[in-house]
Amino acid sequence: MLEIEGLDVFYGDFQVLWDVSLTVGSAEVVAVLGPNGSGKSTVLKAIMGLTAAKRGRITFEGHDLRRVPTHGKVDLGISMVLERRRLFGAMSVQENVLLGAYSCRDKAEIARRLEWVESLFPIIAERRGQEAGRMSGGEQQMVAIARSLMSKPRLLLMDEPFLGLAPRIVHQILDIIRKIHAEGISVVFNEQNVQLSFGLSDRGYLLESGRVVLSGTGDEMLSSDVVRRVYLGG
Amino acid sequence: MFKPLTLRTYLLVAALIALALALPHVIDDSYLLHLMILSIIFAIFASAWNLVTGFAGLKTFGHHAFFGIGAYASALLGINLGLSPWLTIWLAAVIAALAGVFIGTPILRIRSMPHVAIVTLAFAEIVRITISNLQGITRGELGLWGIPAFEGFMLPLIGEVVFNPSVKLWYYYLALGLLLLSIGLIALMMRSKVGLAVVAMRDGEDAAESLGINLARFKLLVFGVSAFLVGLAGAFYAHYVSILTPMAAVGPDLIILVIAMVLVGGLGTFSGPIIGAFVLTFLGESLRVLDDYRLLIYGALIILSIMFMPRGLATIGSFFRRRPAEARAD
Amino acid sequence: MTIFLEQIINGIIIGSMYALIGSGIALIYGTMRVLNLAHGEFYMMGGYLVFFLVVAYAVPPWLAIPIAIAAIFVLGMLVQRLTIAYLLPREEWAFATIAATLGLSIFLQNLALILFGEQFQSIPYYLPGVVEIAGLRLPQQRLLMLVVAVITIAIMTFVLAKTRFGWALRATSQDKDAAAVVGIPAARIYTLTFGIAAALGCIAAAMLAPIYAVNPWMGMPVLFKGFVVVILGGLGSFPGAIVGGILLGIVEAVGVQVTSSEWRDVIAFGLMILVIWVRPWGLFGKPR
Repeated sequence: MLEIEGLDVFYGDFQVLWDVSLTVGSAEVVAVLGPNGSGKSTVLKAIMGLTAAKRGRITFEGHDLRRVPTHGKVDLGISMVLERRRLFGAMSVQENVLLGAYSCRDKAEIARRLEWVESLFPIIAERRGQEAGRMSGGEQQMVAIARSLMSKPRLLLMDEPFLGLAPRIVHQILDIIRKIHAEGISVVFNEQNVQLSFGLSDRGYLLESGRVVLSGTGDEMLSSDVVRRVYLGG
Repeated sequence: MFKPLTLRTYLLVAALIALALALPHVIDDSYLLHLMILSIIFAIFASAWNLVTGFAGLKTFGHHAFFGIGAYASALLGINLGLSPWLTIWLAAVIAALAGVFIGTPILRIRSMPHVAIVTLAFAEIVRITISNLQGITRGELGLWGIPAFEGFMLPLIGEVVFNPSVKLWYYYLALGLLLLSIGLIALMMRSKVGLAVVAMRDGEDAAESLGINLARFKLLVFGVSAFLVGLAGAFYAHYVSILTPMAAVGPDLIILVIAMVLVGGLGTFSGPIIGAFVLTFLGESLRVLDDYRLLIYGALIILSIMFMPRGLATIGSFFRRRPAEARAD
Repeated sequence: MTIFLEQIINGIIIGSMYALIGSGIALIYGTMRVLNLAHGEFYMMGGYLVFFLVVAYAVPPWLAIPIAIAAIFVLGMLVQRLTIAYLLPREEWAFATIAATLGLSIFLQNLALILFGEQFQSIPYYLPGVVEIAGLRLPQQRLLMLVVAVITIAIMTFVLAKTRFGWALRATSQDKDAAAVVGIPAARIYTLTFGIAAALGCIAAAMLAPIYAVNPWMGMPVLFKGFVVVILGGLGSFPGAIVGGILLGIVEAVGVQVTSSEWRDVIAFGLMILVIWVRPWGLFGKPR
């Protein structure tokens, strides 16, 4: 469903991604792994068009994503949860969630989607009128995921979904991702913790200094020397 | 950006100075000299503005205030106290520098560029309106005249040095001297610890702060020196044209002209402001016939150089080798 | 006392016009962080459009003003597309946009000078009468200004709070990337916002033109008033600009009573620099 081939990304003169290739099948959960600064966030941002790719091909169901502006990707069925939530802090929870359905003009459809995300996140209905910026980090993450689901994506990109969250919240988010997956939505997320990631994903890609150094299923990767070298410095 | 000066650079600068010194003897044309003098006044103004805006990265839009303060201060000191312009231009430059420190202190606390732009523009407007309203002292819009000229003197070997409207020669040499002094001061400053710190600050405030440099004081110093030089240019201008009006000496048109010069020449380069000042002054004169169109063209030049020539004429050579801008890291 | 009261009321009315201009500057800054130095020229062009329609072509004001507003709206969008949109992706966009709009301002001012000449043009009052309320005499023209300002502000408040566009605008101003990933086309929002801000300037011009004269330089002083307004209210805040505008109108009215009219601008700028010095986030905003 999503194919990336030979992706090079620069920040100014500094190259952060080197020849990255990656595929995501339909209804698949894929983890992008790697230590800090390995470029795993950049991969997701490049898919969404938040950072420009210099070379390479990114296609989604036959569409050349490099030619589609960020907001247009939402219409194609891609959605993204940004790192550190990035809610509209001065707006209410309800407004934040409804903004997720910005590209949908059908009121009945929006109501259906709202009902769906409220069933996944009861907190949305409970805190409807609260200013989003005043919620805790975990609560904000739920609203952020709910917001990104409101566009009814077929591919959900999650940038550091567990960053800075308490273990209890991490487990809740893991459950949610499983539920999302069960609805047939593909999920790509990035995370540093390998154990945590493979509890969730079908396959993974390991990035080191902007290059894919290893890919495969969870078991294959966990038993690899490369994972040990990158993570344990062995 | 501040590479060690090569022999080639030294030779080029020496050749340019020699050329400038020889010019009046090659072409004896008082109108040409007049244009050269105006270009030099603007070259000092533009270089000083570039020092703050291009090198220190503090985007101010009110430097015409210091030009007006310098011009009026020198003229009024001459008229009311009978002091010689040889003294008053320096006093006026000091007064402009003090005004610079006065307004610079609050501005430097502000990190938001739009706020700085607004405050500096408004400060210059306050100066202009005040000069215009204090008619008892400045004669307001009627214009201040009777500004004393530089006294002449005898120079051994060379002969009599005179300053009067029909003989531009010595005004030209004096202006040239002031320009060299200004450029020298700016170059010295930018190559010192102050300059390095200031540029580091422009490129990343936090990085420079972590070096433990007292940034605020350095920035203020740069701002003060810049105001001093602009005030000096204004003071010289007062005694050269010998009549001042608030619009001509503190009008917003002045800063627009200077911004156009620096942008056309190249913001953040040593030679850019000087190139821009000469190009636009001569261009402006050749458009004298189309007087009404001059500001229109300056406006268009600002827009066009910002959009299509962001690094100016001074670096036009490298323009074609430049790689397209990449997306920014966030 | 009644004269003093009349002055205050006049101050509020002029202030409501400052509010319209300031809110345009605030909207543009709030959404795309651009300081638009050409804002006064939309006001100037609006003034000329109304003048030509009403005086030269004898179009009735109730029709001429909406035509002018629509034209300036389109012009604002055009300007944004051709200059600002092109500069925003640059690394040094903040300075580039300030400088470009400054150049644009000078360009448009002098274009008007060449096209329309330097004579000051006047537009007759739309309503010539005078009303008396509780012993206060107010020209109907001034009351009309207040009514137009209140209606405009009400419409804008509704648009920002309740419409899809308003939501998108507020979301984009809070976080451009987050807005983009929910499918909001930021570029289009920017262009529309610029058009709306220009149109707000045109409304103020249409209402002020009969009182002041129409001329090529009318934009600059108004731009400065707008700056004072947005600094008072907090740069980028729409409600702040409304309150800031009214406040400036009152301060000026009182200040002119105490000193004299040629110091009016110095009072305004002095107040602004004082506010930047003590409360850079504006009188009503919160520090960030």
